[in-house]
Amino acid sequence: MSQWEPKIVAFLCNWCSYGAADLAGVSRMEYPPNIRVIRIPCTGRMSPKFVLGALREGADGVWVSG
Amino acid sequence: MIAYTDKIRDIARRLLKDCRVETVIGFRNGSMPMMNEPCFIKNVDDVDHLIWDGNCGINLANYLTNRTDKIAVVAKGCDSRNIVTHIIENKIKREQLVIIGVPCKGMLDKRRIKAMAPGEVTRVVEDGESVRVCGAGFEKTYPRKDMLQANCAVCIHRNPVIYDELVADPVPEQQNVDRYEDVRAIEAMSAEEKWTYFENLLAPCIRCYACRNACPLCYCPTCFVDESTPQWVGKSQNPVDVRTFHFLRAYHCAGRCTDCGSCERACPMGINMRVFTKKLEKEAFEQWGWEAGLSLDQRPPLDTYRPDDPQDFMK
Amino acid sequence: MGVEPGRVHFSWISSAESTKFVDVVKKVTEAVRAVGPNQKFVKKELKVA
Repeated sequence: MSQWEPKIVAFLCNWCSYGAADLAGVSRMEYPPNIRVIRIPCTGRMSPKFVLGALREGADGVWVSG
Repeated sequence: MIAYTDKIRDIARRLLKDCRVETVIGFRNGSMPMMNEPCFIKNVDDVDHLIWDGNCGINLANYLTNRTDKIAVVAKGCDSRNIVTHIIENKIKREQLVIIGVPCKGMLDKRRIKAMAPGEVTRVVEDGESVRVCGAGFEKTYPRKDMLQANCAVCIHRNPVIYDELVADPVPEQQNVDRYEDVRAIEAMSAEEKWTYFENLLAPCIRCYACRNACPLCYCPTCFVDESTPQWVGKSQNPVDVRTFHFLRAYHCAGRCTDCGSCERACPMGINMRVFTKKLEKEAFEQWGWEAGLSLDQRPPLDTYRPDDPQDFMK
Repeated sequence: MGVEPGRVHFSWISSAESTKFVDVVKKVTEAVRAVGPNQKFVKKELKVA
């Protein structure tokens, strides 16, 4: 591996940040490719076990966004 | 303590005789010293099994979850707060309960007594402000206040918050207690130091889940550690699994824990897992001024929205 | 609890704020890059000889 790149699991609310991500996409904005998006129906679906689960499986970072 | 026991028996006898309740939940002598066990009394003739002393540290609110019968329950300060939490969380109805309130003078730390005694302890007698520890060939007396469980030593809610009967006059509450000294010490550590500290703290854990089973808050129909699709936590002794279990259990108790100390008391390895729940208790107190289980009319901070909720952690 | 601050982030972005989204993605990535690879909390398989 030439250079380490962080792997970030992003839990995005369907109605907020996921929409923002979609808009960023259609507006052809550029942002780092390190995030792996998981769409959740609402930030209320979030549970601390998702965060711990992601870290346990090897994620370098976790980002929760409503 | 004898006076407490007699009064508890009187009340229990009366309640059962008048058919006010079907069951009385209290404590009886265990088969070992300092190991009082919870008992369910359904018959007036068995009332004399009930006792009260400094070894009744297990939280009886644990036995009320989803009960449908009428119950009288013996409750010290922390038990009563957990009963309030149970009522708020719809796990039992107030009408079903007759709460026998016990003003508490703190529970004895059985591990400390065992460690200080020169041999096997066969009998522990409380005598006002002192504790007499007897065993084969020795008899020692210690001041009672030095032998309290760590959580009782910093307790500021010794009297029951709700009750129908009180077995004695309320005891004076402790003043000027520094409740969070240990938590602050850990907060001051760096991430690296914390990691090592918790590694050592949890190293003896055998994942027997005694802490979960003793905890009145842990009433999920299926605990996350037992879920298999998906499986959140492995079944092994892997340190990451052990840590996940303790972290997540603590989070589930956020804003609900009353620091009754049942988990630590139940632990066969003597792990102080209370540092996790206590940190969250401190957080709830500092962020929302919340102490769990003090009032039936107030919703807990984690299920209400307030426009002034602190949110500095968000971007 | 021993997980480095900077590994876990929370934010609030409306669905119209695509610019804020891009900003936050950059910030989060930088913060995680700064704390380095996650080595502690990963569950490693037991090595079998």
